[in-house]
Amino acid sequence: MTAASIDALAAARQERPGTLVEAAEVLRRAARENERVLFLGGGTELSLGAPPAGVEVVLGTERLDRIVEHAPLDQILTVEAGVRLGSLQAVLARSGQMLALDAPWAARATLGGLVSTNAFGPRRTRYGGIRDLIIGISIVRADGTEARGGGKVVKNVAGFDLPKLMVGSLGTLGFVATVTFRLHPLPEAQGTVAFADLDADGVRRVVLALRQAQLEPGAVAALVREGGDDLGVRFDGRFELGVRFEGFEAGVRQQAAKLVELGTREGWGAELLDPGTAAAFWSRHDRAREAPAGFRAKLSAQPSELERVANAALGSLFPVLEHPRAVSYPVLGLAFVAGDVRSTGPVVAAVNAAREAVPQGSVVLHAAPPEVRAAVNVWGPPPAALGLMEQMKDRLDPGRRLAPGRFVGGL
Amino acid sequence: MSAPSLVTPAPTVDPVPAPPGVIDRLIAVVGERNVIRDPVDLRTYECDALTSFRATPSVVVLPASTEQVTAVVRIAVEAGMPIVPRGAGTGLSGGALPVPGCMLLGLSRMKRILEVNLDDGWIRVQPGVINLDVSKEISAAGYYYAPDPSSQGVCTIGGNVAENSGGAHCLKYGFTVNHVLGARLVTATGEVVDLGGTARDTPGYDLLGVVVGSEGTLGVVTEVVLRILRKPEATRTFFATFPSTDEAGACVSEIIGSGIVPAAIEMMDRLAIQAAVAATGVDWPDVGAALLVDVDGCAAEAEHTAAVAVDIARRTGAIEVRVPRSDDDRMLMWKGRKSAFAAMGRLAPNYIVQDGVIPRNDIARVLAEIARLSDERGLRVANVFHAGDGNLHPLVLYDAKVPGQEHAAEELAGEILRICIRYGGSITGEHGVGADKAPYMAEMFTEADLDTMAKVRCAFDPGTTFNPGKVFPTPRLCGDRPGPYRPHTTELAGLADRG
Repeated sequence: MTAASIDALAAARQERPGTLVEAAEVLRRAARENERVLFLGGGTELSLGAPPAGVEVVLGTERLDRIVEHAPLDQILTVEAGVRLGSLQAVLARSGQMLALDAPWAARATLGGLVSTNAFGPRRTRYGGIRDLIIGISIVRADGTEARGGGKVVKNVAGFDLPKLMVGSLGTLGFVATVTFRLHPLPEAQGTVAFADLDADGVRRVVLALRQAQLEPGAVAALVREGGDDLGVRFDGRFELGVRFEGFEAGVRQQAAKLVELGTREGWGAELLDPGTAAAFWSRHDRAREAPAGFRAKLSAQPSELERVANAALGSLFPVLEHPRAVSYPVLGLAFVAGDVRSTGPVVAAVNAAREAVPQGSVVLHAAPPEVRAAVNVWGPPPAALGLMEQMKDRLDPGRRLAPGRFVGGL
Repeated sequence: MSAPSLVTPAPTVDPVPAPPGVIDRLIAVVGERNVIRDPVDLRTYECDALTSFRATPSVVVLPASTEQVTAVVRIAVEAGMPIVPRGAGTGLSGGALPVPGCMLLGLSRMKRILEVNLDDGWIRVQPGVINLDVSKEISAAGYYYAPDPSSQGVCTIGGNVAENSGGAHCLKYGFTVNHVLGARLVTATGEVVDLGGTARDTPGYDLLGVVVGSEGTLGVVTEVVLRILRKPEATRTFFATFPSTDEAGACVSEIIGSGIVPAAIEMMDRLAIQAAVAATGVDWPDVGAALLVDVDGCAAEAEHTAAVAVDIARRTGAIEVRVPRSDDDRMLMWKGRKSAFAAMGRLAPNYIVQDGVIPRNDIARVLAEIARLSDERGLRVANVFHAGDGNLHPLVLYDAKVPGQEHAAEELAGEILRICIRYGGSITGEHGVGADKAPYMAEMFTEADLDTMAKVRCAFDPGTTFNPGKVFPTPRLCGDRPGPYRPHTTELAGLADRG
């Protein structure tokens, strides 16, 4: 989000409801007075989407921070929107459980915000995204009506899947008040096998070999060496790949050994990392995702195309960004590229080049300076289903008062 | 609220004729033999696997392509006919039940597998493809399609998408919605829209997640991209018998509590075991309860978790633990389980298949309540269920020839759903709401919840053309599209104004 739009948010009326009843009252009042509303969690993804047009009310969730229900035996959890991911995981760990969501900025990010932005981390490789973990939701509609969808049992096909509709909707369809998730057992053991120096084709071959060998990693991430503060850092096409196995000790040991053997046989230079080195790899991953950046783009492509696409995008973006860095999740076909913008024109050209390289996928700008936003649509070309999305917006937020203009297609 | 009729057949009446000209227009699109309107032939389509609800469509159309679906949808909409989509008609909630005067849109001719991409882990199919045929197509390469409803040898992918079908193995692997990457949808306006796709996280709302499980009320899916998985390295199966469902339930809770996520964990009570024995010849003993458990993964993990789970079974009171001696032996165990519904015919002339969900840890308490109701009403209830995710399938046995028993069975089946709701569960885990459970939606959800779902439906289908009368307890109209005024394109072009 730009400085100007942050100032605009600061000027809006700040509401900090402490209960869901109060939150609904805030929305009813906004409806009566025809005010535009932005929902604010930990503020970690405020720059995602277009800056909303003229917001009069900011509804912050920091006081909605209760764990409503944790049933360890049923492995389900219901939280209010403002609960922060990091502190939640600490509570769940005491029961030997986790929410299989390792999104960035866990200390600040709230569950309401994570759902609204469809955030994820490397564990998505094994456990799926938020849409695969969410089982129930309660929302407050733009008109102040409280409504629920899904429930608190893992298996449930009664009614439309409102939880999935809300995932990634960026606060434009309603206020996410509480969320219910399925939980997973904390893995007993983990082990990371690293490949220190692979080209894009090598990354792809390891991913296919993992599957062929029936290995089931919990997380797979490829990092690109971070560049310095000089422009013109060339992307050299090399990746450092980490494959983490997690689960019961016996399974982790067997799978890691099998991958090392396979990687050695193929000459890929596989190594089972000791715990300290493994932790260092994953914190380099976290830093690449979390370090402040004026420009951040998410790439999506078919897994088989990802590294080619990443090469095209990285090849054009790296030389024009300061401190460029990138993370790719090659099993998923997703990647993030970040850095700082010194000059607009080349970055705009690089974004356009990256989009041309992924006609079937997408390049979404999660952060970009206003000059870049003025030159390219942060969401990319309108999706095929935009007409239906407009209808959805008009049914649930007919006055277009919730984060107006922020989402895809100006919704 | 009285129990809705679960078993009383509606009287069969002659079909409402289609409006003039519709039949000829349909024939022009799909050809003479794919437009069924003979009253006798139409009777084939008057119900799905929930045979107690029946209605005759005005016409059945069997298109062969997305283009033909688009054309026939437009014809029906212009004629003001409701459209009821149908796959193989194996649904258990009356989701494919016609409404009088409707055009029933059968997708059975669209059964081609269009494209397989093993490297990227997906397969693109038409909706009429049989669930099991997807796995067969890719099995030789070592892949499979995970959702495995018991009817997988006959049910279609289109029907699975409509119902968000599950199966025994969804505890670990998820439901249909977790395995659908993309779908091509024909909307009520006859537009063709692609949702999702082969790359993840298409920008915009997750409309794909809404369409899966919408029971044919939002449009017609004419192509689906399914995620396919590499077969696990090892699967370990065991069958354990217990004195009663109490011990079996405790065993389930402990296995899950130990951090194991079994691929499947199925429970059967004494009646269900007896029925399976009678129907399939499995040599299961006469005991109070049995569990059938699959764990899978890499070999070391499967060995470890199987050993831990077997140990837990013994500790929680198992009478006997059996491990299959061969693949055939294992298949027979699963056949015993999967044929349990049909096997009920060995125990009683009639039965109602119920489908409800409860929090897993309440299994023993809920089964005790069901047993008490069963005693009170003098009706036997067999229980077969996916214990790992708390998905109950009580089977209420009765004899329709005994006066009053059918009604008592309906009442009892309804009471079981209310127990599920009271425990914070759901009225359906995998069979869908359909026509059968629509009245119970008002007991599980508030008016505001249902109103919100209705708005979602109106976004897709403002004329409620698709599958009216399903899911929602009362008919709902959409009204005009709300939202800010937008000039019509003809106004913008200067062809009209709002004078």
